[in-house]
Order: sequence, then C-alpha cells, then structure tokens
Amino acid sequence: MAEEIKPNETLDVRGEICPNPDVKTMVKLKKMAQGQILEVLVDYPLSVERIPGNAEKNGHKVLKVERVDGPNHKIYIEAQGGQK
Amino acid sequence: MTPLILLGIPIGLAFGFALQRGRFCMNSAFRDVIVLKEYTLLKAVGLAILIQMVAFAALDMAGVITISPNTFFWGANMLGGFVFGIGMVVAGGCASGITYRFGEGMVGAMSAVLGLILVGLMTTMGAFHPLVIAIRGATTVTLANGANLTLANIFGIPHYILAFGIAGVALIIWAIRSKSSKGSTKEAEGISVGTKIFKKGWGWQATAIVIAIIGILAFISSTAAGRSYGLAICGGYWTTIQSLLMGQNLIGWLSVMLLCTILGSFIGAKIAGEAKLRAPAPKVLIQTFFGGCLMGFGAALGGGCNITHILTGVPQLALSSILNGAFIIFGCWTLAYFWFVRPMRNL
Repeated sequence: MAEEIKPNETLDVRGEICPNPDVKTMVKLKKMAQGQILEVLVDYPLSVERIPGNAEKNGHKVLKVERVDGPNHKIYIEAQGGQK
Repeated sequence: MTPLILLGIPIGLAFGFALQRGRFCMNSAFRDVIVLKEYTLLKAVGLAILIQMVAFAALDMAGVITISPNTFFWGANMLGGFVFGIGMVVAGGCASGITYRFGEGMVGAMSAVLGLILVGLMTTMGAFHPLVIAIRGATTVTLANGANLTLANIFGIPHYILAFGIAGVALIIWAIRSKSSKGSTKEAEGISVGTKIFKKGWGWQATAIVIAIIGILAFISSTAAGRSYGLAICGGYWTTIQSLLMGQNLIGWLSVMLLCTILGSFIGAKIAGEAKLRAPAPKVLIQTFFGGCLMGFGAALGGGCNITHILTGVPQLALSSILNGAFIIFGCWTLAYFWFVRPMRNL
C-alpha cells in the first residue's frame, strides 16, 4: 500500500506567487518524457487544489497528493510525454 | 465617530474567512480563463454578482439601503481599470487576493499591499493627484439632475426591473447549460461538514453564496454606520494609514472591516493548517511591490478596486463599475497573454 514513489525530477515552487506554481508545473510536465515522474513541492493552497486537475486535463496522471506539514504539499505526477 | 463602525468587525472576519476558504481572487478568476482554461473562480464571481444584484434591488425597494453607484468618469475608469488589471497580474493577486494571502502569511502579498498603500496615497492625495483631477474632470458624465449613471437610469428603466431581469435571464441560461453539461461535482464522500468548512477549500457555489451574503450584510451594516456602500478594500487601507500616519480621523466602518478581513483570513488559514510566513525570492518581492503600486494608482484613479467595482458596483448596475471592471479584465488579459499564454504556446 505505502509504495514509495521515486520521482525522476523535482520542481520546488514553494513561496512562488500565483499562478507560477501551476504554470511551471505544466511547462515542466510538457518537457518530460512519457512515464517520467515529477515531484512538485508547493505551499500555495489554490495551486495544491488546481494542479492535479489541470495535469489530468492535459493528459498526465496524478499519482499522489501528500500533505507534508502546514501548507506544504508534495504532488507526484506521471508525465505522458509532450502533451498539450 | 459612531460606535456602529464596529459592525465592520463581524463582516470583516467573515469576509476574510470566506476569501481564504474560497480562494476568492479575481486575478486568478479572470487570468486563468486564458492561461489555464480554468473557469471555477470566474463562476464564483459571476454568481456572487447575480445574487447581490437581486438583493440590492430588493433592499433598495424596501428602503433598507440606497443604490449608490460611483461617479462615471469614463477616462479615469478606463485607464484606472486597465492599469489595475495589469498591476494585479504583476502582483499575483487582486485586492481581495493579496489581502487574504496577507492573512495566510504570504510575504509577496504583503509587499503588494505596501505598494498599493504607497502609490494609492500618492494618487489620492499626493504627487499624482492633479492627474486624477484632470482626467476625472475632463471625462465625468452624469444625468441632467446630477445623478450617477446606472444601466437602468440611462435608459429610464426602473432599477429593480432591470436587476431582476438580468438575474432572471442569467439564471435561465445557467439552468439550460448545467442541464446539457451534466455536473462533474466530485464532492468527496464521508467528509464531515466541519472538515468541509474549516479544512478543505470551498466549492465555487458555496464560495459565491457566502461572499454574496456577506456583501449584502456589509451594505446594510455599512449604511447603518453612515457609509452608503457595500464591500470595498483599497479605501480601507488608505484611510487606516492616513489616520495612523497622518493623524487624520478617517477610521470608519471600512477601515475596521478591512483590518478584520486580514484577521479573518488568518483565522481561516490557521484552522486549516495553511497559515505560515513564506516568502518568494527577493526579485519576486520587488515584482509584487511594483504590481501593488500599479494597483494603487489604478484603484485611486478609477475610483476603486475590483471589489468596489466588480463585486459591489456591478450588482448596482453602476456604469462606472461596469466600464472599470471591463478594463480591469482587459488589463489582466493583456499582460497575462504576453507573460503566460504566448510563452507557453511557444514551448
């Protein structure tokens, strides 16, 4: 059950202002090869709620959204390669 | 100073709490329509406007409040709205967005507020004030009897008929659209009401209804304190600082409400475990400060921020607010296109 996800890349957007966490995540995912896993470190609540939905809307697969502490979250997304 | 200004306390606390829980930011609402094709917050803004439109008209008919449209100075409304719209993209939040994020502990939002106060005061009473006088003076239009323009009075239509009519038509369109696109509500089951209210971000419908109710109560309580208007933000910052720094006695319902809005947001974030002081890189802090400066100039020139105009003025059918609001969106979309849409497309 508690299978550890091993990310290929990590994107730290903690402290960033709106909408940079969302935009940087989408740009990063677009550049990653299919099957690669991106770990996003984010502390902006609106982005924590919206990144998973936007990633899926763009064809990527959200593996896990994990709260670390306070507003800090880790989001794991599997890229689907050069999606729009 | 009437003690009734203290009625701003519960309104501010509730407003701040609702802004934080609902992530109610018009910069995100407008910008993300073109950047992320995301419509959730936009729907919240639209619904909150419609509910207030009906309520304000009904309360005006009942004599509880008086519809009080801002003065229509088309040049100042257009330029002020456009600069404010650009500023909120640079600052990463509208007036309500940077205020609730101030309460959450986001230092970038605090520096934006600082810019908004500084240049806002320079524009309302300092170096830029002559420019405001000149632009407003050259472009002010009122009815022959001196009344401020609304969509209703320029056509001679009774206010309530137009307000109810617009809301009714919007409701019918909404009902038809939501029928054809089967709801994708993915509300998590098994979550308690308390968790939904205090721990999770609210859905757009809940956010809109709560913000609208607060907006209606705000108009009533503010009227009782001698200020015939509803929710606003920028004026609250400016009057507070004018009072604290310059010894002017301007503390009123709006200042009290605004300070409690920040506190309400902090309380909401604290309960949800989202309150934490966090800062972006120094150059982003400078960026948000500069964005705040543009917002301050735009709001002071155009007679208000997005809350004054879009959330409170548009429901009153004020022509000034409709024009100013349109130019806030225009400014927002212009910069968002060059900053986000085009670079993402060219990847």
